[in-house]
Amino acid sequence: MNVRSQVSMVFHLDKCIGCHTCSIACKNIWTDRKGTDYMWWNNVETKPGTGFPTRWEDQEKYKGGWEKNNGSINLKSTDKKRIVLNIFHNPHMPSMDDYYEPWTYDYQNLFNAKEGSDQPTALPISKVTGEQINVESGPNWDDDLGGSPLYAENDPNLEGLTEDQRAQLSAIERLVFFYFPRICNHCLNPACVASCPSGALYKRGEDGIVLIDQKKCRAWRSCVSACPYKKTYFNWFTGKSEKCILCFPRVETGQAPACFHSCVGRIRYLGVLLYDADRIEEVANLPTEELIEGHRSLVLDPNDPVVAEAARRNGIHDSVIESAQKSPVYKFVKEWRIALPPHIEYRTMPMLYYVPPMSPVMSVRNEKTIEHVSDNLFHDIDQARVPLKFLANLFGGGHEAKVVYALRKQKAVRWLRRALTVGDVTMDQAKRMLNEADCTEEEADAIYRLTSLCTFEERFVIPPSHREEAIEMIQDPHERRQSAGFGFLSGPRRGL
Amino acid sequence: MERSRDNLVRRRGGAIRLLAAVVVSVGAYPHFTLGQETATFFKQNCYSCHTIGGGRLVGPDLKDVTQRKDRDWLARFMLNPQAMIDRGDPYAKQILEEARGVVMSQIAGLTRDRANLLLDLIEAESALEKSQFEGVKFSDRPFTDEDVALGHQLFTGRVALTNGGPSCISCHTVRGLSLLGGGRLALDLTKVSERIGGRKPLSAWLVSPATTTMQPVFRDHPLEAEEILPLVAYFEGAAKQVGDDDSVAPLTFFLMGLGGMVLVLGLFDVLWKNRFRAVRRPLVAGGEMRTSA
Repeated sequence: MNVRSQVSMVFHLDKCIGCHTCSIACKNIWTDRKGTDYMWWNNVETKPGTGFPTRWEDQEKYKGGWEKNNGSINLKSTDKKRIVLNIFHNPHMPSMDDYYEPWTYDYQNLFNAKEGSDQPTALPISKVTGEQINVESGPNWDDDLGGSPLYAENDPNLEGLTEDQRAQLSAIERLVFFYFPRICNHCLNPACVASCPSGALYKRGEDGIVLIDQKKCRAWRSCVSACPYKKTYFNWFTGKSEKCILCFPRVETGQAPACFHSCVGRIRYLGVLLYDADRIEEVANLPTEELIEGHRSLVLDPNDPVVAEAARRNGIHDSVIESAQKSPVYKFVKEWRIALPPHIEYRTMPMLYYVPPMSPVMSVRNEKTIEHVSDNLFHDIDQARVPLKFLANLFGGGHEAKVVYALRKQKAVRWLRRALTVGDVTMDQAKRMLNEADCTEEEADAIYRLTSLCTFEERFVIPPSHREEAIEMIQDPHERRQSAGFGFLSGPRRGL
Repeated sequence: MERSRDNLVRRRGGAIRLLAAVVVSVGAYPHFTLGQETATFFKQNCYSCHTIGGGRLVGPDLKDVTQRKDRDWLARFMLNPQAMIDRGDPYAKQILEEARGVVMSQIAGLTRDRANLLLDLIEAESALEKSQFEGVKFSDRPFTDEDVALGHQLFTGRVALTNGGPSCISCHTVRGLSLLGGGRLALDLTKVSERIGGRKPLSAWLVSPATTTMQPVFRDHPLEAEEILPLVAYFEGAAKQVGDDDSVAPLTFFLMGLGGMVLVLGLFDVLWKNRFRAVRRPLVAGGEMRTSA
């Protein structure tokens, strides 16, 4: 057992209100520089929708992630031979149009325009060419199903849905969507790191944050095509690639990353997971239907003394192990099993998990009353407005079982709360549901508390980074002792 | 103290080494062989265009040249012929006319002193009954087809030059040579025979080519007499074969380049046929596009 620690995340999609505060917080701190205009280290997509860059989940085009080839997995975008052949021209690069051409507005025109018969307007100006442009797309063009139905209809996750299901998604009075906020997943088996010919990308040993060394990056842009989530971006001004750094300067000083901190819906959770690094390769090679369970099995129980001992042997500080024991992520992923990795079929072993969203309540009209209850307690999950298959394509690697499990448990918790607080559901019904959803009352209460009443400290359990000790590896703090400052050896004196 | 003595020794050692270098270099260029050196210099730089008592080649016969013009004028002309012509010197212009527009090329390594030595040599050789620089004797027999064919082979390098010189095609071209022609570094030799003035001057020129580029190349690898004859035959043949129109060759070259480019681009397109093409634009333009269900 090779125990390592990873700062992992959970996004609770049932709580996301799609306000984009996270994206703005991130942009203001990190990507408000020349050349980074088009980067959205954090973005919020509407599902169904094509996302950013357009249809990034279509790996037939973008060639991101890993694919299984007789017994082992290989990068889709490149290999040792192709990297040489394509070193000066990466054939799988998204074009600027697939992101969008960054623009600003010609505000000066509002003041300087010649007198005319109409009001002056601030016309859009390309930030790349400086010319006037006709804005055709943006980072969030299909927000809230905006733009045109075209985008929602072309969501790659609709694959495998029947024509009826597709039609229903956009039918009047049944129209439905949810939000899908995305940052770098800081994967256990990152394709970006594997693809870099310069070795500029690395996964930090102490907390698993994936970073690009700006001094080593040689602008080959292999990471851009290799990352299936399209979360590394090329800075055209500095000629280096950049990506989400999980606000490591904040995390190291005990603060939550900016997007987590600013989240209005409080959908984001952050905490340490201990995992077994020796088994990553084995798990990444599993058949698709076993991937989620395999991925979950990599996460180790921090309360297990054997695991804690192995962690200590690997140099993981006691305080980090303690932090892992309190990790909200561990509860969602491992104890309650309602958080699922996005697109596990890309085999990068993402360490950002999503709690799948509940669909709006289904109702049945009975004469004059509207019923929300039926004998089949989970009927609205099976006939949800968001088809299960769609959610399964996103969070289940195409398989519905794990998604159904997560949704049922969430629904059972809801009904227990309704029985307790509203009273339109009987306790019997609620208990029956909990039973069927594989959930005890205590667990339901814990889920409810961490979902609805969670405090800042409960959502973000940030491991101490011990920077004061880390610096000792580079500098000796005693080196300048008694040789500088205002001590009596070299005290302040008059003259030269 | 110790250190400064070391320094002194080192400095003295340097002086000794310098002295030794001077002695060696004086020994390597002894003054007493200058007469022979001047003759060699004449052979390498002047002989391809001039004879002494052998008649006109490209340039005039130099026999008794010192009596036709004063030494100072001659020396100045030798050092920079183009300048004399540009200045409008009447005699220089007359020479130019006689040479049918071929300007004497400037000679590398020619100094005022060396020019004087050369004039001394010419004066001495002129006084002789039969100068050693009377000109190379070539056979006057008419050229045969075999000569032309051999010349072509020598030009293109299919037959190597005996003394190891590079074949003409490395730098020169002749129209009608092949589709791509020869080298473009130096002059087109199609009309060379006409330009230099026929068989005799051309043959003499090839004995020791005197331009700044060719001289260092062929000084140690001269052409043999039995190579010069076919080459001259080939040049004369080439001049007769082609007309005056010379715009064809560059056009062919351009068209071949264009064709090659199209071919390479086509090859790239096939090799990288699975490359990423736009996603959003076709999606919006196509309208009906769906996932690959």
